[in-house]
Amino acid sequence: MVSWQRGLWLFFVPSFGLLAVVLLWPLGYAIYLSFFDYFLGTGTRTFIGLGNYIELLSEARLWRSMWTTIIIAFGSVALEFAVGFALALALYRLNSSAKVFSVLLFLPHIVTPVVAALFLKWMLAANWGLVDATLLTFDITPPDWLGDPLWAKVSVILADAWIFTPLIMMVLYAALQGLDASLIEAAQIDGASNWRILRHVIIPALIPAIIFTISVRLMDVFRFFDLIYVLTGGGPGTATETITMYTYQLGFRMLEVGKASALGVITLVIVAALLLSINRALNSIYRGGDR
Amino acid sequence: MAPLTIRQATKSFGAVQVLHGIDIDIQDGEFVVLVGPSGCGKSTLLRLIAGLEDITTGDILIDGKVVSRLHPKDRDIAMVFQSYALYPHMSVGENMGFSLRMRDVSQAERERKVAAAAEILGLTPLLDRYPRQLSGGQRQRVAMGRAIVRDPKVFLFDEPLSNLDAKLRVQMRAEIRSLHKKLKTTIVYVTHDQIEAMTMADKIVVLRDGHVEQIGSPLELYDAPANAFVAEFIGSPSMNMLEGRVGEKGQSFITAKGVELPLEAPPPLEPGRNAIMGLRPEDIRLGAHGAPARILLIEPTGADIHVNLDLNGDQLTAVFHDRLELTEGESVGVAIPADVVHFFDVETGERISS
Repeated sequence: MVSWQRGLWLFFVPSFGLLAVVLLWPLGYAIYLSFFDYFLGTGTRTFIGLGNYIELLSEARLWRSMWTTIIIAFGSVALEFAVGFALALALYRLNSSAKVFSVLLFLPHIVTPVVAALFLKWMLAANWGLVDATLLTFDITPPDWLGDPLWAKVSVILADAWIFTPLIMMVLYAALQGLDASLIEAAQIDGASNWRILRHVIIPALIPAIIFTISVRLMDVFRFFDLIYVLTGGGPGTATETITMYTYQLGFRMLEVGKASALGVITLVIVAALLLSINRALNSIYRGGDR
Repeated sequence: MAPLTIRQATKSFGAVQVLHGIDIDIQDGEFVVLVGPSGCGKSTLLRLIAGLEDITTGDILIDGKVVSRLHPKDRDIAMVFQSYALYPHMSVGENMGFSLRMRDVSQAERERKVAAAAEILGLTPLLDRYPRQLSGGQRQRVAMGRAIVRDPKVFLFDEPLSNLDAKLRVQMRAEIRSLHKKLKTTIVYVTHDQIEAMTMADKIVVLRDGHVEQIGSPLELYDAPANAFVAEFIGSPSMNMLEGRVGEKGQSFITAKGVELPLEAPPPLEPGRNAIMGLRPEDIRLGAHGAPARILLIEPTGADIHVNLDLNGDQLTAVFHDRLELTEGESVGVAIPADVVHFFDVETGERISS
């Protein structure tokens, strides 16, 4: 390091300061609060050590909401990825005049999730909503989209996919643009079918982008809140109650701030562990060569 | 190994026609170089042969069989790309064996063929490496290995040496040439570098704006260029072109700038006719006699000396193998030995032969 470069750490201070105030301090405070029995209604705060954690981890509701979160997260990310990747490949193959479609396809992502959720709610409304009205004209009896425990999960997954598929499509499409086209041509000459070109050339080349989109979406979907809050409110019953919905219930409805903080910390640990193992798995596919 | 015939091939991208009725006959085992300035259609022609672009009209025959509408994989060709196009996540061995694997060749057979190709190219110690761990020259060799492992009828090379440094380029040139001697496979090689074309080809096809300008052996093109374009394109430094007319006595050439250059042999055209005279830099002689010229610039390259001359407003480049005692600004006489000048028509640029 050249001597004048030693002073460069000063440039790091403003952004680190900001991060410390908006990120590290609240995180530390949440961890601190998670060791207290803190009911906001009375304002009394009693240190109970790991009491909140023990209570939460032995609760059926926590595990149920965890399970719901995992189903919704993996369901929607899988759907978004499959559809988004297919659309990206289709766009890649289209000539430039057809690329107007990419803008149209991106529209759902520009809409604010809460707004999108509101009008999806109207569309899915029983009997007179657009979806039901359409199905009824064909004499098909529609399911209770938001009222049935199973269909409510499906509706939430579809709603999330409707908003976030365009994002995945755009990221993968951008990655495809960066792909050396002669790799695909070489594979054609080598005698690979379209399917094998996808499997042996395109997907391996896209692995970094795929890891990125899947990780970002999974992280996001574990914090999934606005859509569910508007669409189902976690219902019917607790059918679509994810961890964040449960945390919200604990903190802002039951005013159990200590317990809600502990749940936040548990969520953080689980999501971090999950993402690390997914990244590692995807990376090992990437590094393992082509078998 | 197979002959390759291109008949009346045209290619249009939308309204733009980039190839106009190309006819080329390539013999079995011949090394043919397509050369021309950028945008002349040489790469497009190669991609038509490969099947990476659809031919608009005309036919391509490999081994007597029309392949114009076949998928690239059914044409039995192999191609080396400018970017090498090595699959980055596969080892050298996997890259070379990929085409065999896609054709469902058994693993044992695959390993045997890859090992044989690696042996020819000296890649055996690198088989387990990945492309990112290789130098440019090694990648180039792997790309060739991937092509030869399948023993195709025709090899196609698309500017394969343009990403290498000058020294490596010379070395790889010789390697490709000796590989061709060993394998005797038909090769079509695209380059914009006329030195590559001259040193490697059995036959050169010069292209300009989607037309074939001339087809011939390197020395045919050098000694008897069909037109002014080929004459200027082949040879380095380029041939000098002087506009003017043949002297009234038929023993000299008078440039448009009014200098009379004595010719030792009478030109093959009638006195007084307007023409372009082409003169290779290495054919110019300097002496006390001859047309007066001034030395503008001297560029020693070590082996040769390049001298830029001013001939009353026309610039000439001359190359000498001897270390002449010259100084910039000096006045010299330019002489032209017999039988080394070329004449081209002023209007069409076509060669005027005797």
